[in-house]
Amino acid sequence: MTEVIKFESVGLRYGLGPEVLQDISFNLETASFHFLIGPSGAGKSSLLRLMYLAHRQTRGIISLFGRDTASLPRTELPKLRRRIGVMFQDFRLLPHLTAFDNVALPLRVAGMKETKIKRYVEELLVWVGLENHMDVRPTTMSGGQQQRIAIARAVIARPKILYADEPTGNVDDRIAARLMHLFDELNKLGTTVIIATHNESIIQEFRRPILRIESGRLTVVPLDKDNKSSDNKSNVKRATQLLESLSPE
Amino acid sequence: MSLKQTNLALAKDDTNRFLPWLIAFMSLLAILSVAGFLLLKQVSDLFEYNSNDTMTIQVPSGNSEKRTNKKITQIINILKETGGVIEVSLVPKVEVIQLLKPWLGTISESQTLPLPQIIDIQIDRSSGITPEKISNVLTIIVPDITVDDHSIWLIGLVKTLQSAELMALFILLLIIFIIIGTVIFTTRTGMGIHKQTIEVLHFVGAHDDFIARQFAIRGLVVGLQGGLIGFLFAIPILYVFDNLLQNLEEGFLPKAEVNIFVWLSVALVVPMISSITMLTARGTVLKSLKKML
Repeated sequence: MTEVIKFESVGLRYGLGPEVLQDISFNLETASFHFLIGPSGAGKSSLLRLMYLAHRQTRGIISLFGRDTASLPRTELPKLRRRIGVMFQDFRLLPHLTAFDNVALPLRVAGMKETKIKRYVEELLVWVGLENHMDVRPTTMSGGQQQRIAIARAVIARPKILYADEPTGNVDDRIAARLMHLFDELNKLGTTVIIATHNESIIQEFRRPILRIESGRLTVVPLDKDNKSSDNKSNVKRATQLLESLSPE
Repeated sequence: MSLKQTNLALAKDDTNRFLPWLIAFMSLLAILSVAGFLLLKQVSDLFEYNSNDTMTIQVPSGNSEKRTNKKITQIINILKETGGVIEVSLVPKVEVIQLLKPWLGTISESQTLPLPQIIDIQIDRSSGITPEKISNVLTIIVPDITVDDHSIWLIGLVKTLQSAELMALFILLLIIFIIIGTVIFTTRTGMGIHKQTIEVLHFVGAHDDFIARQFAIRGLVVGLQGGLIGFLFAIPILYVFDNLLQNLEEGFLPKAEVNIFVWLSVALVVPMISSITMLTARGTVLKSLKKML
């Protein structure tokens, strides 16, 4: 197993304020799956922003795919970002684009052919239950529907790392379970998954190692080996089929 | 990649509502500056041509027309033999009357008015020929002959016209700077409005060039819209101006006209403006994006 994310004594402060993240050090290996938990304001979103290269750390070293992000030239950032999928808590869907076009965005940016894009995006939208909303703009959709579009956009390019910030916050339990199985299957296909959540039932059901952040400090809680998650076989099978049909980046 | 499906919806920005009209106004001014420059250049070139290579010899009318004509023949023959004189031509009386008409009116047509005979000569200035040298030779035949070197009085006029040409170019440059400044301002505003969208595009792996291209295309469209509107407004103005030029009294100024070259030149202002707006938008976005992570 190789390390895809490595933090060494990372600190972050905004402007001249106090450090919101202090001495964060951890390694995440390829195809690992972690929950990121912690009270509101503890620094979860700041940590995620460092991981998806929205911010630069004030101190310390962050390596992604074995490369120090601080020394990466700007021209190489897009290539790195195409290997990362992000589902934002506030979704950040483009309001002037349809659901289809929002999901297709990472593929279009990567220069994929429209015929392939059409097939992949339609399959994924069927999976997230939005096959009847492909031409609908996000502004007329419910929070749950927007969330599913955001998740579909994050996973469409089969990223090597997936960050999801509260991905089950606005959906019912059935959809939440289905989305979690999608993440689970992505993980089994080699994607490193980090999910920030407050949803205790999800954490209990899909027992995975935990990154706990509190007052800007991080502790890694390893998985109790005897306590494995119970897979819903029907969902797992369908998620596997779907992801295998999607093209890798 | 489909532009329609990945665009930033820039056309809907409030800043873009007034921009084509502002560019249209600037384009109109730019077109008028270019046309003004070209027309002034036509006039100054003609003046310069006249002042550089020609002189006029006035032979006062004598009491006997026969004797005067004999003297004229003699003068023409001498001039043809003189080194540095390329061409000699006697200006017909009708033309002389036309030249005097703006100043004398119909009196110039009077048969009793003693009109001088005018001889135009084309010279090669590098041969060292001067009005004095010609005058010295010709006064032997006609003592009160006058030799006019046009360059003496035309040179000031040419310089004034050339200053006006420079002024027109300076105004054009000023207009270009204003367009660049306006596009920089509106592009930055557009980037502020679409900050979140730009962030999302970055997160999904878009290169700066991908984002800049969308602003550049919008810049091109706005430039073309504004440029074409400006050109449409310029057409009647130039048409009227051309008519005014054509109706100027003969001999008052050398004939300048809004010819095909002028029309083609002012039409080129449209692609020039749209290229400027496109490149400025692109450059502004790329520069601003460098400051982002």
